[in-house]
Amino acid sequence: MAFFLETVFGGLMAGMLYSLVALGFVLIFKASGVFNFAQGAMVLFAALAMARFSEWIPAWIGIDNKFLANALAFVVAALFMLAFAYLVERWVLRHLVNQEGVTLLMATLGITYFLDGLGQTIFGSAVYKIDVGMPKEPIFVFDTVFEGGLLVNKEDLIAALVAACLVMALSLFFQKTSTGRALRAVADDHQAAQSIGIPLNRMWVIVWFVAGLTALVAGIIWGSKIGVQFSLTTVALKALPVIILGGLTSVPGAIIGGLIIGVGEKVSEVYLGPMIGGGIELWFAYVLALVFLLFRPQGLFGEKIIDRV
Amino acid sequence: MTQKKIGDVILDVKNISLSFGGVKALTDISFDVKEHEIRAIIGPNGAGKSSMLNCINGVYKPQEGSITFRGQTFRHMNSHQVALMGVARTFQNLALFKGMSVLDNIMSGRNLKIKSNLLLQALRIGPAQREEFAHREFVEHIIDFLEIQPFRKTPVGQLPYGLQKRVDLGRALAMEPAVLLLDEPMAGMNVEEKQDMCRFVLDVNDEFGTTIVLIEHDMGVVMDISDRVVVLDYGKKIGDGTPEEVRNNKEVISAYLGTSH
Repeated sequence: MAFFLETVFGGLMAGMLYSLVALGFVLIFKASGVFNFAQGAMVLFAALAMARFSEWIPAWIGIDNKFLANALAFVVAALFMLAFAYLVERWVLRHLVNQEGVTLLMATLGITYFLDGLGQTIFGSAVYKIDVGMPKEPIFVFDTVFEGGLLVNKEDLIAALVAACLVMALSLFFQKTSTGRALRAVADDHQAAQSIGIPLNRMWVIVWFVAGLTALVAGIIWGSKIGVQFSLTTVALKALPVIILGGLTSVPGAIIGGLIIGVGEKVSEVYLGPMIGGGIELWFAYVLALVFLLFRPQGLFGEKIIDRV
Repeated sequence: MTQKKIGDVILDVKNISLSFGGVKALTDISFDVKEHEIRAIIGPNGAGKSSMLNCINGVYKPQEGSITFRGQTFRHMNSHQVALMGVARTFQNLALFKGMSVLDNIMSGRNLKIKSNLLLQALRIGPAQREEFAHREFVEHIIDFLEIQPFRKTPVGQLPYGLQKRVDLGRALAMEPAVLLLDEPMAGMNVEEKQDMCRFVLDVNDEFGTTIVLIEHDMGVVMDISDRVVVLDYGKKIGDGTPEEVRNNKEVISAYLGTSH
């Protein structure tokens, strides 16, 4: 029993990280109707910026305080994401107003490759580490219930907490503020949004910046777990089945979808793996997504698309 | 109806020409709109009525001509700026925010007026809270006015067409516009819905003194409610005047009924 629970916990934590990446996809899709393929690349780019600047800044200005160095690096990385959001709007989206979704998707594919290259050109392509001082040691909980207790990673717990806070902040932003309402308006209808005086361009910068920040947080957490390297972008691809599961337009969907996939792949790997030869973790998410596409294409929480004929 | 007071020229359109590639949508159109009046633009299909509205609204940028709004002259308008200056519009093919409730749709029309800090808004504290209430109250007033109280929380996508048109109008009204542009507000409606809509348009004009520029297909409606009418045909202006004058204009009659050659 304890072992099963540990497996589930492990899965939840991994799932939380998928959710963070998926959240970025959902944000941009919700607010601009663009399926942003570049979210994975943004995670890598943000993580690279964070990793490198937390090395460079202390060297440049000679501070010894690790917390300060990390905080400064975070600010600089956030500024990078802001600049990125601005440039994407200025050079890509502005010219594609009122275009088909497919056109916009292709544009984000282009951005993906560009950003992958640019990040490694500026920051280098070795494996870097991010150390934000998250405790690595495991803790044991419930040792009164189970013999020896349950082994939980402290780092994972903190990551989950951060993710939860982020989600809460984002839902407040979307549901309660006028900017959030404007963003939802832009997602539904560009022209109508313009007619009530919502500046499309500024809204796009805002939402890409918010998605950039989400990418940065995801990048820091992933990066401090497995190191900042190119394979981050492939991990980020797992976010695709997550949003198919959760629904493209739902913030809670992204979270719950991530958790289901995280737990699902861990549990099936551990319990079914030995029977059919392992490696289930690699494909489980995609098969689950396929099944969902067959039976519930709008996902768990997505809006059902009804077309009037 | 009480005698209404028509003011000075608020919107002056001069020599507007607009073409898409080789297609001339509008050729040398000029007309003016006076404060507090209901000004209609009519014409057969493809006459360029919507294009005209889109020029005023800043969606299209005309190649020639100028638009003067409240004394300021522009070569062409910009959607965001136009909204800030107090011009609102509705759409011929509904362009509502389908995922949102009726209330949110109309609230979105208040967006430009919300001034408080983002963080305060998110946490719903202090002045942000009071501001939200004030806007909400205004929106409730519009909802009452348009008689859509039972549908407040309904996602607009689920409402019948006639009601969606009202929400579209409500969103525009929420901006407290000086000039309201209505793109075929009665299109696709049955007689009863048309009567309702006519009543709303007249009431808006009457109660709030809003200047209205209205595009319409239905001659009967136009003649009943507008103060002055512009007639377009194939992108050219062929008539301008009171409904009575326009009705007796030979060119207008032939444009609508055809001529014998």
